[in-house]
Amino acid sequence: MSAEITECRVVQLSEIESGKSFRVVRINASGEIRRRLLDIGFIKNEPGRVIREALLKDPIEIEIKGTKVSLRRSEARLIDAEELD
Amino acid sequence: MNFPADRVHRRLQRRHGRSGLPSGQKFYRIALAGNPNSGKTSVFNALTGQHQHIGNYPGVTVEKKSGIVQVDDNIVEFIDLPGTYSLSAYSLEEVVSRDFVLNEKPDVVIDILDSTNLERHLYLLLQFQELGVPIVGALNMTDEVEAKGVMIDSEQLSSILGIPFVKTIGSTGAGIERLLEVALKVAEGQLSSQKRHLNYGKQVELAHEAIIDALMLDESFKERYSLHWIAIKLLEKDRDAIRKIENEHRLAAIVLQAAKDWRERLEKEFDEDCEVIIGEQRYAYIHGAIKETVKIAKRRQVVDFTESIDRIVLNRFLGIPVFLGIMFVIYQITFKLGNPLSDGVSIVFTHLSLFLTRILPAGPLRELLTNGIINGVGGVLTFLPLVVLLFLGLSFLEDTGYLARAAFVMDKFFHIFGLHGRSFIPFMISTGCAVPGIMSARVLANQKDRKVTILVSPLMMCGAKAPVVAMLVAAFFPEHATLIFWNIWLFGWLMAFVMALIFKQSLFRGAQTPFVMELPPYRLPTVKNVFIHMWEKSSEYIKKAGTVILAASIIVWFLLSYPKVPTRTSDLSAENVPAIEYSFGGQLGKMAEPVLRWAGFDWKIGISLIAGVAAKEVIISTLGILYGIEAQLSSDQLHVDFMVKNEIKNDQQYSPLIAIALMVFIMIYIPCIATLAMVKKELGSWKWPLFQVGYTLLVAFIIAVGIYQIGGLLGLGG
Repeated sequence: MSAEITECRVVQLSEIESGKSFRVVRINASGEIRRRLLDIGFIKNEPGRVIREALLKDPIEIEIKGTKVSLRRSEARLIDAEELD
Repeated sequence: MNFPADRVHRRLQRRHGRSGLPSGQKFYRIALAGNPNSGKTSVFNALTGQHQHIGNYPGVTVEKKSGIVQVDDNIVEFIDLPGTYSLSAYSLEEVVSRDFVLNEKPDVVIDILDSTNLERHLYLLLQFQELGVPIVGALNMTDEVEAKGVMIDSEQLSSILGIPFVKTIGSTGAGIERLLEVALKVAEGQLSSQKRHLNYGKQVELAHEAIIDALMLDESFKERYSLHWIAIKLLEKDRDAIRKIENEHRLAAIVLQAAKDWRERLEKEFDEDCEVIIGEQRYAYIHGAIKETVKIAKRRQVVDFTESIDRIVLNRFLGIPVFLGIMFVIYQITFKLGNPLSDGVSIVFTHLSLFLTRILPAGPLRELLTNGIINGVGGVLTFLPLVVLLFLGLSFLEDTGYLARAAFVMDKFFHIFGLHGRSFIPFMISTGCAVPGIMSARVLANQKDRKVTILVSPLMMCGAKAPVVAMLVAAFFPEHATLIFWNIWLFGWLMAFVMALIFKQSLFRGAQTPFVMELPPYRLPTVKNVFIHMWEKSSEYIKKAGTVILAASIIVWFLLSYPKVPTRTSDLSAENVPAIEYSFGGQLGKMAEPVLRWAGFDWKIGISLIAGVAAKEVIISTLGILYGIEAQLSSDQLHVDFMVKNEIKNDQQYSPLIAIALMVFIMIYIPCIATLAMVKKELGSWKWPLFQVGYTLLVAFIIAVGIYQIGGLLGLGG
């Protein structure tokens, strides 16, 4: 499984530009924040899209599981994702 | 018992007729669950109509709404559970929801789902099913999903999940009747709603079964909880479930060891944390169920209104101006429309008081009635127009879905000070009046953010402090009045941010609470729901805050009126001394003079500041009384203002430096009694308003002394 992932470019979700689509690889956190992200739909292989960012590039708006959600950049940094073309 | 019935129930009654005797009445409890933005509130309103009761869940500040109605021959109590995304042990709302179901065992839980987003909403429903309670699913917003050309096969979904589903449209009430019928059938046992749990896949199920076996070792524990649920929670390492085992299971050590062993085994197999494995399995199961039941009949090109609006509203550069514009409108509606209404209420009570003064014989009773009680009731009711209008605006913000956007736009700046983007709303409202401001802090879902915001909101320049500051500015800085006034105004904001930062770093330290939140699609609120919301909040204000404000203002009145001036004094000069100087408050003001001197204040200011706790604008009229300005004229506010301004300007005791120290002191020190009563009501304990009294007094004093002493050293004292 890990061999498969190393093939693609895995980055932190916070680094993906507005308008780009991505696929969730994993959440690098624990406790409440991990549970919140999981509950809202950041699960392995889930596709999503970065919609926009606020004035100071923080927070960011993301579409996942048919809903728009907002995350602080510090929270997006906890999610590993691979960019889709 | 005779419960008034809502329109829906009358229709039901007509159809079924009133069969049976009243003695055959049955009592059912139905809980309403659902994600935020599932339309749960409108379904609850449609089911209960006006018959709602607001309270708290035992021991916590989470709001509990319930309503009792008669349906056919049954009495049904509906309980609105907090809207949540999940049922973990991380938030108070989630723990409250699941504990309610586990402990109170309602007959049915109706879970409201947004049909346009079934996957996310079923995620919560399945967690309720796991608690071992009969569930009925309401496929809400059916109209929206059909407009998109998506068909949901509710029969098929029912047979996969073992739960009855009913299609509803909460905003129009369509399908609600049927939903109630189905729920009652389930409650009566005529319709089955399976309590089984979803399938987590082979490996997890194996672990799950093994933990259930361990749990079965205690017979009495088995009776109390759904073992399926406890077993899954133990795999998730849910701290609340672990606590339940520790406290209530006879063989806790064995169970916890088994759970730990299986967790480790699963984590090794999946190379992932157990909580993540279970969450992912849950979503995987739902994904499978949806694949079989949701068909896209014909893909219709629907204009995404939400995205079109967000392109402007959440635009990087337009976002903040749009937000400030919306806040400006709400502020104007609340205060420009509310203040004349408040003044009207105030005039009515002044006249009532004058009328009673005329017809009643002089004495302590008349004084208590006119100055104490009527003044106090008037004080409570003057805030009412502001509260009503504020909630009109807020429920509009909330119901449309804009509130979440407000946080998105403002979060970065507020986060620097440890606050949430939404804290802006209570801050802004508090610049008009802290009483509705503190109520509006409910827009903050997180309790820590809400507490900090409530603690610092009264530092803003409010409508009552403004005339006092304006008077002082006019008296001592006639040339730069506007500039100084706005600087003091900004000082209020600065203090609020600084104190918030200090509290976040000290009292409310600890892990950051996640910001992650949904930006729901924009929806038009229905007039009915907005009015029910306004009605609820206003009656709550009168009932809960009103009584405390009334009691507190009578106490303050007493302290400023008693004891009376000794009557048998023959000393002429004593007759000219205002009665307030003799009162407890007056004595305290005089006693405090040596301390107040450090900030340059004399006893007159001392007494006025004490009186100002009743309401800040009273500072001017109290100074007026102390300067011997005729009391009869006190109804003419402008005149009193003018006279007091002249008196203090010519008083050799004061200087511009003292005026600055005084203005700063007034901005910060003890919030008015109505605000303190509101804080008590909102945070549920006197601890917080008392803390607020303490910290504001201390900070105000330190800064005022600092200004006066340092200013004096710099030679600004003259």
